[in-house]
Amino acid sequence: MTGVAVKSWPKMTSREEFRFLADLVLTRSSGDHTMVKLHDLHSGTTRFANNQVVQNVDTRRGILAVTVAFGRRHGTASTTDFTAGSVQETLMRAERIAHVSPDDPEYLPPPGPQSFPVGETARPETELAGPARRLEYANEAIGQCRMENLMAAGIVSSSVSSVGIAADNGLFGCETRTDARFSLTVQAGEATGWNAAAHRSIDHLKIQERTLAAIQKAKRGREPSELPPGQYPVVLEPAAVAGLWTWLLWSLDAKSYQKGTSPFAGKLRERMVDRRLTLANAPGHADLLGVGFTADGLPSGPSTWIDHGVLTQLAYDRFTAQAQGVQVIPTLDAPVLSVHGAACGTVQDLVKRTDRAILVTNFWYIRSVNPTNLTLTGMTRDGTFLVEKGEIVCAIKNFRFHDSPLRAFQQIDAWTTPMEAVTAETGKMLAPAMVLPEFHFSSVTRF
Amino acid sequence: MGILSWDEFADLALKRLAASGAEYGDVRIQHSVTETIHGEDRRIASISNIEDSGFGVRVLYHGAWGFAASSILSLEEVPRVADLAVEIAKGSASIATEKVRLAEEPVHHDRVVTPCRIDPFSIALDKKTDLLLNTMDALHRQAGIVRSSASLWARRDRKLFLSTEGTYLEFDLLAGQGDCTATALHDGRFSSRSFNTPHLRTGYELIEEADFAREAPRVASQAVEKVQAPAVEAGLYDLILDPEHLSLTMHESCGHPSELDRALGYEANYAGTSFLTTDKQGTFRFGSPHVTLVADNTEPQTLAATGYDDDGVTCQQWDIVRDGIFVGYCTNREVAPQIGETRSRGSNRADGWGSMPIVRIANIGLDPGAATLDQLIGDVKRGIAIEGHGSYSIDQRRYNFQFGGDAFWLIENGRRTHMLRDVIYHGITPEFWNSCDGVADRSFRRRYGFITCGKGQPGQSGWMTHAASPARFRQVAVIRGEGRS
Repeated sequence: MTGVAVKSWPKMTSREEFRFLADLVLTRSSGDHTMVKLHDLHSGTTRFANNQVVQNVDTRRGILAVTVAFGRRHGTASTTDFTAGSVQETLMRAERIAHVSPDDPEYLPPPGPQSFPVGETARPETELAGPARRLEYANEAIGQCRMENLMAAGIVSSSVSSVGIAADNGLFGCETRTDARFSLTVQAGEATGWNAAAHRSIDHLKIQERTLAAIQKAKRGREPSELPPGQYPVVLEPAAVAGLWTWLLWSLDAKSYQKGTSPFAGKLRERMVDRRLTLANAPGHADLLGVGFTADGLPSGPSTWIDHGVLTQLAYDRFTAQAQGVQVIPTLDAPVLSVHGAACGTVQDLVKRTDRAILVTNFWYIRSVNPTNLTLTGMTRDGTFLVEKGEIVCAIKNFRFHDSPLRAFQQIDAWTTPMEAVTAETGKMLAPAMVLPEFHFSSVTRF
Repeated sequence: MGILSWDEFADLALKRLAASGAEYGDVRIQHSVTETIHGEDRRIASISNIEDSGFGVRVLYHGAWGFAASSILSLEEVPRVADLAVEIAKGSASIATEKVRLAEEPVHHDRVVTPCRIDPFSIALDKKTDLLLNTMDALHRQAGIVRSSASLWARRDRKLFLSTEGTYLEFDLLAGQGDCTATALHDGRFSSRSFNTPHLRTGYELIEEADFAREAPRVASQAVEKVQAPAVEAGLYDLILDPEHLSLTMHESCGHPSELDRALGYEANYAGTSFLTTDKQGTFRFGSPHVTLVADNTEPQTLAATGYDDDGVTCQQWDIVRDGIFVGYCTNREVAPQIGETRSRGSNRADGWGSMPIVRIANIGLDPGAATLDQLIGDVKRGIAIEGHGSYSIDQRRYNFQFGGDAFWLIENGRRTHMLRDVIYHGITPEFWNSCDGVADRSFRRRYGFITCGKGQPGQSGWMTHAASPARFRQVAVIRGEGRS
């Protein structure tokens, strides 16, 4: 433990306090419908680079948002000032907006009272963690890198939030959520290795194990060879799989589907990917960041989105769901991608059974190239290797890819069980590492 | 927000810092109002008015940083947060091997106000929603348009900055923007075309002068033409890039690598490092002699021209690339001394009271040349003219990039002919900028701003404006953006 004493955080907005604030709004609102949302966040991050702390921050921000509707005319105002006068002034701002808004044909009143699942969205050890715990973890990662004469850059963060939703028709939900994160880039000269974690529990970040993994990647990444761009078999680690699948998840919007501006248009209940792949939502999973309710005030629950390769579900807004007669709107806050069939145990097991492939640790700067067929581009990052005859033979310079997950995941050759997958640009999901027979790398960079 | 004035709260925090033995500290108190009106498919989907208030305290103790912030501005919270910032800084110092040393900066007392003719918050909401609804109606009058969107955005920041060195700065800043997009569907494909005003620090006159009534039919017509256009054939093409498109190219391939904190490894875990390493400053050929990229945080109306940055340093103008040679970085008071510079360039900005300021890209612009746009196009045998933003991606050291665009026209024998679709070009940054052989003159210069530049952990949104005249690049690799090419 280093010099900073553990200090208890200021008290977060409680369920009772949120109910008081909500009532303050709901009892005074002149609207036909009124909804109140709370997001009270206390977060801290210790950021390090070049083996020392470069930023060490702690921020408390509470936001109360009020939406008022007169008929189909609605408006939203928010404040960070929770004093009674400010909350009432926020209500008046929302009323003023709603009064002059044009009719919104897609407006729906708030959902009625709901039964929200009570999950373990908050862990006390994360709530209690403060700057000292974060610094301790950062120092642990830095220390291991220093011992190896390597450079560490990364973050340790932890947060607790009170999230609430209430409406004048009886809807009410309030839950505490915690979030702890660790990510580390180890620099060995020009080579880099990376690892990351995100969990409700700060105890679950596995700093030492992940630091050693990043160190190993960085050391193996020295003196990379250059391979020409082209089609290659690939071994994608879970973070790389998650990076591609996150874009697929973001493209499941039902309204776009109905309007024909979706890569899935007309393909519901058709096979989209390898028939052994299933995508599900598992908000109760202890290693995921599932929530009890959504920002719309709908309960989160288990659901299946792709079943044995077949697209079975779309992401509905409430209006589109009503128009399409969808009674229960599924959520996708805790995705799990799994493969039916016998799985390998580890990434190393996949490597051992691979004759020749590119091993990708992670992708970076993934962006859409063609939304019609979900062609994406992005770079490999922080550990790209050539595998031959069951072994990693050398590091290679990073590739740019140019491919669609809808094409790339048509066939998978081998896989592990789902593992925790976190990337800098996407959320968290459980995803297996996979071997794909063909993936398109379109160019190579200088390192 | 409380019984004391902002000055008194700031003074209370600074007194705690002074008593702690910290060598430096500053306090930022800020109140921001953001109004966003978003229209979608001929309806107003949302109108929001967001007020965000709070304060942040930054402390340098024994050469290490601590920062704490809160949205509760009260007599109890201000000392708590100030003490917490000190405590955190002490923790950082306990494992520091090298101490932060700040570049000197004169003490400033000033008030900065965005000049504007029409306060965007004084315009009646129904006037704004009428504009967006009329714009979307105009988009849908074009046959083949299946979706539309239109938005207005305005922001006011009132901020107070006080430091233990005695600097006292007040800010009353405005910014605004508007846009519309049409999406056309044809033969199972869909394509969009957009019109965007720049993000600028000015009043509602920006929107009134934009003439959405004229732009909407053009955008809709071009969306339909684009979705029906032939796909590009892969190969080498000369490119004529318009100012809006260049704003993104400059931002990604020149702006980010010129951030000194990246070059020094501060962003290694997230945004990345930079191929413009410090040994290259003053000698590295970044581009052809036609390429001069100037950082100018003093140009009126631009997003980074705030008078002073969040170090309390005066906004300045300096060269990043002069006649093709890389000569200068974007810096703050912390990193400037690490390359022997005695003063910060004043490019340290936070995205609000709750964030610690970090080095940000300046308003980097491409200096105009002497040609007309017709002259640039006239000397192209086989090329593509690209307008607006599309797909973009670049590696973490900013070498390998790939860009699309919003609209593409084939150029043959010196004439712009018909539209193309699915144009993607890629390259290596210095090779690309060395292929520039002409920039249009100042009469073609336009400015475009960014408010969503992601960097830092926790993530922050940076604001800056990039200006350019159209420029020509020779023999750039173009591929088809529809999968394998």
